[in-house]
Amino acid sequence: MYSSVTDDTQNRRDRQTKRLSVDRSLMPPCQAACPLHMDIREYVDLTAQGRIMEALQVIRNGNPFPSICAYVCTHPCEDACRRCQVDKPIAVRALKRFAVEFGGDRMIQSEAETTRGEKVAIVGSGPAGLACAYYLRKLGYPVTIFEAHSELGGMLRVGIPQYRLPREVLDTEVQRLTQMGVEIRTNTRVVSLDLLFDMGYKAVFVTIGAHQGLRMEIEGEESPGVIDGATFLREVNLGLKPSLGRKVAVVGGGNVAVDAARTALRLGVPNVKILYRRSRAEMPASDIEVEQALEEGIDVRFLVAPTRIKRKNGRLSVTCVRMELGEPDARGRRQPVPIKGSEFNKEFDTLIVAIGQAPQTPGGFGVRMGRGSTIQADPITLTTNRAGVFAGGDAVSGPATVVEALAAGRLAASRIDDYLQRRYPLGDKETRQRLSGDLLLETIEMIRKVGRLELPTLSPEARSKDFKPVELGYSWEAAINEARRCLRCGMGAEILFQDKCATCLTCLRVCPYHVPHLDASGTIQIPDDQCQACGVCVAECPAKAIVLRKPYDRRQITEELDHALKSAAQSNLKPLIIGFCCQYGLFGTGALAGLWRGAKAGIWIVPVLCTAKVEADHMLRAFEMGAEGVFIAGCGEQCARENTDFWVRQRVEKARRILAQIGLEPERLQAFVSTTTNGGDPAEELDRFAERMGNLYLASIIMQEVRS
Amino acid sequence: MIVAEQKSLEEIRRMIDSYGRVLILGCGTCVTVCDAGGEREVSFLHNALRVAQARSGNGAHTFSEYTLKRQCDPEFLDMLTGRVEDVDAILSLGCGIGVQAVAERFSDLPVLPGVNTSFMGMPKEWGIWDERCAACGDCRLGDTAGICPITRCTKGILNGPCAGTKNGKCEASKDMDCAWVLIYKRLEGLQQLENMRRYYPPRNFRAIPRPKRIVSKAIIDVGGENE
Amino acid sequence: MSNSSFEEKLSSDKFLVTTEIGPPKGTDTSEMIHHIDLLKDKVDAINVTDGQSSVMRFASLGGCLLVKESGGEPILQVTCRDRNRLAIQADLLVAYSRGITNVLCLTGDSIDVGDHKEAKPVFDLDSVQLLRMIRTMESGTDMGGNELKGAPKFCIGASVHPEADFIEPQLLKFDKKVAAGAQFFQTQGIFDLGSLRRFMQYASQFDVRTLAGIIVLASARMARYMNDNVPGIIVSQPVIDELASVEKGKGLQKGIEIAAGLIRTIKEEKLCHGVHIMAVGNEGVVPDILEAAGLVDVHV
Repeated sequence: MYSSVTDDTQNRRDRQTKRLSVDRSLMPPCQAACPLHMDIREYVDLTAQGRIMEALQVIRNGNPFPSICAYVCTHPCEDACRRCQVDKPIAVRALKRFAVEFGGDRMIQSEAETTRGEKVAIVGSGPAGLACAYYLRKLGYPVTIFEAHSELGGMLRVGIPQYRLPREVLDTEVQRLTQMGVEIRTNTRVVSLDLLFDMGYKAVFVTIGAHQGLRMEIEGEESPGVIDGATFLREVNLGLKPSLGRKVAVVGGGNVAVDAARTALRLGVPNVKILYRRSRAEMPASDIEVEQALEEGIDVRFLVAPTRIKRKNGRLSVTCVRMELGEPDARGRRQPVPIKGSEFNKEFDTLIVAIGQAPQTPGGFGVRMGRGSTIQADPITLTTNRAGVFAGGDAVSGPATVVEALAAGRLAASRIDDYLQRRYPLGDKETRQRLSGDLLLETIEMIRKVGRLELPTLSPEARSKDFKPVELGYSWEAAINEARRCLRCGMGAEILFQDKCATCLTCLRVCPYHVPHLDASGTIQIPDDQCQACGVCVAECPAKAIVLRKPYDRRQITEELDHALKSAAQSNLKPLIIGFCCQYGLFGTGALAGLWRGAKAGIWIVPVLCTAKVEADHMLRAFEMGAEGVFIAGCGEQCARENTDFWVRQRVEKARRILAQIGLEPERLQAFVSTTTNGGDPAEELDRFAERMGNLYLASIIMQEVRS
Repeated sequence: MIVAEQKSLEEIRRMIDSYGRVLILGCGTCVTVCDAGGEREVSFLHNALRVAQARSGNGAHTFSEYTLKRQCDPEFLDMLTGRVEDVDAILSLGCGIGVQAVAERFSDLPVLPGVNTSFMGMPKEWGIWDERCAACGDCRLGDTAGICPITRCTKGILNGPCAGTKNGKCEASKDMDCAWVLIYKRLEGLQQLENMRRYYPPRNFRAIPRPKRIVSKAIIDVGGENE
Repeated sequence: MSNSSFEEKLSSDKFLVTTEIGPPKGTDTSEMIHHIDLLKDKVDAINVTDGQSSVMRFASLGGCLLVKESGGEPILQVTCRDRNRLAIQADLLVAYSRGITNVLCLTGDSIDVGDHKEAKPVFDLDSVQLLRMIRTMESGTDMGGNELKGAPKFCIGASVHPEADFIEPQLLKFDKKVAAGAQFFQTQGIFDLGSLRRFMQYASQFDVRTLAGIIVLASARMARYMNDNVPGIIVSQPVIDELASVEKGKGLQKGIEIAAGLIRTIKEEKLCHGVHIMAVGNEGVVPDILEAAGLVDVHV
């Protein structure tokens, strides 16, 4: 007798079903790099499908002020984007802007109601303060923002010029807080935190930013005509027009310096120079800002620093010295070293100093200070040395980016909530594995090279005249095409059921990107960092051992098909035609998007995320449920993935063989390809197909009558 | 490995015609590899049968699906015991061995073959399978430079070639290479043409009486010595 | 060796002429008998084909009996396609007992080219093994090693393919057949005498007799058909062109001309030891070919 294996097959199936409902996708590098951990891959994919409103919803779920980021985010996601390894990164910020504008983000109302009693005070209304207010309000706390200036926004309002962040955009975002019931006290400078506690606030978030300009500490810095960069920008943003003369120099290499220079230009100064003491490579300002500045005619002098300023005949005579780069400092940046004897003199009307900013913390706060006049706060809990006092944003980190401040504000809200509810402040537990690893050369070779569509901008001449926004948005087509370049990192295929795998090598043979391979022990591995998520191996695996990592991808076609069949059954239009149409292609986003609305009687569209995922099984099911005709419409040559047309045709042939044996004409199943390149009109082809199906349907009705 | 091909839908429908509840049983080894009877094909056949049923209007059958890792091992067959209570027939997509194993184990259930077991072979590339071995039991690949004259020569002769070879192809089909031309060329390359000059006497067909048995274990007398 | 007149002629210097008759697909042997009568005195021996091109026909053994009965000299064709070693040995015992002692040993065409495509191909033996088997029988035992109660004696031959496109393996096989005891060879159809010459240069070292196979074509279409479908036949392009150049109805005449021309040259230049004329359905014109080739007086 043979010994029996324990029959836990039912348990095994149950476990399988559970495993199938879990999101097994890996966190892509863009999301990992974003301080807010936005689900970038998700909203880029939705944009590629033309589902802009849903993309906007995803964005709003992760970011309370998407419009702001859409204009000024420094996009660490793009720097981490793996498309860089192929050609250029996905223009995430530009896509976000498209979603925000096209989706009408400004129409969206925010609401909140008070469910808690503890009042929270937020000192400073920069992005960190605004985000903290938003999230605390959502949690039901009464929140008051104290802002020293007359308007909310912090650096957003007084630091970033309007040609980068238009006033209306900021106003709309800030409005939300008022709608939500946040109490706002502008023109109110807080000098003592004790006072706030006396007023009944239970917790305070100090986020006063870094506005105090650093000094060069050179002779003559006090002279009239030498102004601080941040102050300059604030004045301009608040409506003043300082007179600068005809020749202006800006000292510094960060965004404030470049902003100051470009602002000066727009105020009518014909000759604007930037003096920076290191070289282009070390310049902290973002590349695109520098590019645009150069285009506008601003002259940047590298390896130059002022050493002495003298006032002469109403102008400034600035002595500069040339620098060379010496040894790297503790942080790895090469130190500039003056070259002896290389001094020279230059004359300017105004010298703008923008070499860095620091927070200006009133002594009355009683908080411990750290390096560079920043406030010391615990990185996990954001607490300071004072109980109930939290700090974050530029005030703690020194000048940083908007998105980091937003992240700090969001974290502060949850920490303050923990504090007030006496919860243990647990660390952020991200259970999802991060995608690591670079693309292999072999994979890169197979990926279709499509250049990045840069955001169109106003011409340099047009834009240097006033403060109109420099960047224009994407058109619909540009946005969709740009979004389709995404490689979908981390949501590809995996061999989930290793016990079913027969190592038949089919996945290895059919993958257009040569991703699956045999490891040293003869087991098939599908490296998650190379997989391009096309879905071919999933559909071809004879043992059904491979799944796509995202549960939605796994269920999608079956659910959509069932939904379409239900609707079709209810409407009872004949002949019933089911069309599996690629959401990324013509039917989703292009010329035939109108079909979505059931515009043609009897044709029901099943949107699929690439026709490579449509299996012969799905086609048969449509026929089983009464379809007279089935078509598959893909993107053909425009498909972002390789070889998809070949697989669609293989499966069509397979299903046709069965149809023939059942007595159904094989022509009832057709594969249409997006024919924008080869001249045919898909709408016409579809019409012809529908007509033919109609004829077949009538013929079958007549036959039935004749028989009975 | 064993390569099989699924039977036509018409034939399968004829076979299952008189049975109401049919279990479509797949096999996770050889027929999965050659895409004839694995879990995917089980699912596809199930769908096809349902479409056929829906279109023809007589919904006599109900189908269930299951795939075993292998059908040819008794321990794997154990896993079926709970699943065949409400079944009138099993349509096995396993190779002929599997069908027989299932039939022997569940002898009161009709077991029907869903695939034609065709040969032992290997893939040329995805989707193309070539026969390589006939299990003659008397392997002489060493004499023929690793090319089997039994399977690859359509006549299976040992003193080849015959006169029907033309352009290196077999008289039976222009797509088939003449195995003996291949053998000649490879022996030439190995400088072993002597092999082909030798006379090979007729095959020992006793190597394959039907059904054959190989006993690989030693027969030991309990309490006595090894035989 | 047996004492057949054919075997005697093999050891003489005579220019040998053989021909073959295809038996009927059915029981009506009238036409075959007619051809036997027509040819028996004009040639040195008559082959009766055995399921040629894997088409089921009246068996060669039966045809040979008819040849023998009418006083002709038969050559039995044995293929390995349809019978296993037991059946072949049994048939050979019958053949010998009825005075049929010339045997042409062939592997046989594959089942796929014939008209019973689903039949089981036997191929228990191949042609070389068959030759050796006959010699074994002659020594008094059968293939199973059992003693025979009365051993046969045969004159055995085989086929060879001088016009094969890849000649080396064919020569290898030829060697094996000679070593196995073949006394005579009837070649596949010859159209290019150059290949025959080259082959004979090699074959002349062996003490065997070679008869060049001459096929009688009736039209260009027939030539092309045979090229594509009949194993072992390669009709050269010049011959096809020559056949195509004549008007309809005169094809057979042309075929006779070509055949006769080849035979004459072979005889005159003593290229080999004789010819084997394959009329393929037109057995009636064989006398005309013999006459055209100047072989009329050369007979029994």
